Amino acid sequence: MFSFKLGLKNLTRQKRRNALIIFVIAFAFFGYLFMDSVMDGMEEMSFDNIKNYDTGNVQVSYPEYWEDRDKLPLENLIYLNQDIEESIKNMDGVLGVSPELRFKANLNNGIDEVAVLGLGISIEQYNQVFATKNYVVEGSMFAPGESKAVIGVRLAELMDLKVNDYITLLVRTKEDTFNTIDVEIAGLVRAPNPMINNGIVFVPLDLAQQALNVGNGVSLFALKTVSGDEDTVTRALTDSFKNKDLDLKAYSWKESAETIIALSTAKKSGAGVIMSVVLLIGMLGIINNVILSALERTEEIGMMKALGMREWEIVFVFMVEATGIGVLGGLAGCLLGYAGVGWLVKYGWSLGYIGGDGSEYGIPILDRIYGTWNYPAFSFIFILGVIVALLSSILPAYWAAKKDPVKAIYHR
Amino acid sequence: MCSLDKYLKYKKESLMHLNLIKEEKQMALLELKKVKKIYQQGKIEVPALRGIDLTVEPGEFTTIFGPSGSGKTTLLNMIGCLDTPTEGEIRLNDKKVSDLSRKELAMTRRYNIGFVFQSYNLIPVLTAYENVEFAIRLIDHSSELQIKEKVLKMLAEVGLKGLESRRPNELSGGEKQRVAIARALVKEPKLILADEPTANLDSENAAGVVDIMRKMNKELNTTFIFSTHDPMVMKYANRYINLKDGMITADERRG
Repeated sequence: MFSFKLGLKNLTRQKRRNALIIFVIAFAFFGYLFMDSVMDGMEEMSFDNIKNYDTGNVQVSYPEYWEDRDKLPLENLIYLNQDIEESIKNMDGVLGVSPELRFKANLNNGIDEVAVLGLGISIEQYNQVFATKNYVVEGSMFAPGESKAVIGVRLAELMDLKVNDYITLLVRTKEDTFNTIDVEIAGLVRAPNPMINNGIVFVPLDLAQQALNVGNGVSLFALKTVSGDEDTVTRALTDSFKNKDLDLKAYSWKESAETIIALSTAKKSGAGVIMSVVLLIGMLGIINNVILSALERTEEIGMMKALGMREWEIVFVFMVEATGIGVLGGLAGCLLGYAGVGWLVKYGWSLGYIGGDGSEYGIPILDRIYGTWNYPAFSFIFILGVIVALLSSILPAYWAAKKDPVKAIYHR
Repeated sequence: MCSLDKYLKYKKESLMHLNLIKEEKQMALLELKKVKKIYQQGKIEVPALRGIDLTVEPGEFTTIFGPSGSGKTTLLNMIGCLDTPTEGEIRLNDKKVSDLSRKELAMTRRYNIGFVFQSYNLIPVLTAYENVEFAIRLIDHSSELQIKEKVLKMLAEVGLKGLESRRPNELSGGEKQRVAIARALVKEPKLILADEPTANLDSENAAGVVDIMRKMNKELNTTFIFSTHDPMVMKYANRYINLKDGMITADERRG
């Protein structure tokens, strides 16, 4: 295959121009791989942060409560009884069950007041489901039986509060009368989910139930399941409730994360746009290169035609050259991408560079997005890049090969 | 006539009809009949050739000379199947080539014609060896070793032994033209066309290049047709065709 050899040798011509195109393709590939890793990482972290600090893998509530859950109602609560708890706990794949009472509250530090989400929890059960305790940065989570609270670091900064300070939570009872919960701060938490840090006050479940006058009612149960078993557990629980004539229903964490999932889907479309732009950049670079090469080598093309080469044979020479550029650009891009994604996986990309934490952008990530390795993306972009390089060279190469041999030889 | 003779006569006629054997009489390698070429420049018609009649026998060493614009290059392009005439007929090796398709013309050039250009037209990224190898690879699918032997032999014939691995930018003008000649000769074509092959060379190199062409013409019986202005080059030819305003004004054979 002498034409193949010639095509490869032609890569050594116009070194600077070829290097520039290879660099542009490599940079575009790198950009795609980096963004892909950021987006995948962001998605993975968002989902983990929702599951580990907010919803658990599965939630159980009454459907009426579920529909209004954003309004934090004190209606349609689940009244604890051993049967319900046992039937949930004993379900295959369930690792922990945390009853939660969610309520609206105003946090008062004696001077200022701010609206917060109050969360009545049974600390031992909560710790089986959520990882918040690992992120206490000052003090500790309150112990069972203690009438204390835990708040987020950002909220503490905002309200100028420290561990051992006293706070007042102003709440409305089920009957719509005002009541207060006065507690000492046991600890400050700085969890990966910014929602925890910015606007939640954890208090003991019995204290919250008493203040809200809801008896032993809870808003929902948050469940930790074996990883990947969410959907199975959700279906099994719903069936089990039906069999027991309970109106309860189980909801996978995905139903609480619809906004994030929608955002993630939109970002995937964005990735498609980025990829199209990347490929367009590569395509324009290759087309430009083939046209310039053909113009520079007009006499050579004429000589090839004089030697009796057919048009497709000349096209093949240019295609090999263009594909070579695509391969080199793709390899360089994948190497750069490997380095970039490696850095992203190890050190992460600070959201501080764009100001604030993820909650300001609707992402449940605190301060640093870590990338993920998506090896198929490397192969996909490389193969697609090479195919695009090959295909985009065909038309300009045909244009070159169709030149009139006389005009080409004498460069008229 | 006995039946065996009759049978042999019948057999010979059949084979001739099928073009499997040629008539004993030597055929002309090239025949041009009333060939005209008119270029269209906007609305103006510019005649480049005005009815050329020419026959070239195998093994001839022919020069076409004439002033600039007389139609030498156009005539060589027509003969070389790089261009087609506006009118008239061209037959190469008894095959009408004046109305072949682009693909057929390419195949005719590939197997039958070698070209040598004034500006060498070598591929700069290939070595002298590879430039010659390129031409033979298009038609010869022999083993690597056989091709190597042929190419090295041809380069040695044109006096480039030892320079095989040099790239064109490492060769003198004369050496480049020798590579171009080797490239044209290596596929052993019936006809070699050279358009002012010595125009870019000094007299010493020009003489060397024409010497080689003459040597190859004698040794391989390859037909050469070349255009030139150079009287020193002309003296090597055994046939002189003078072209003026697109017409042959003189056609003379010597020696």
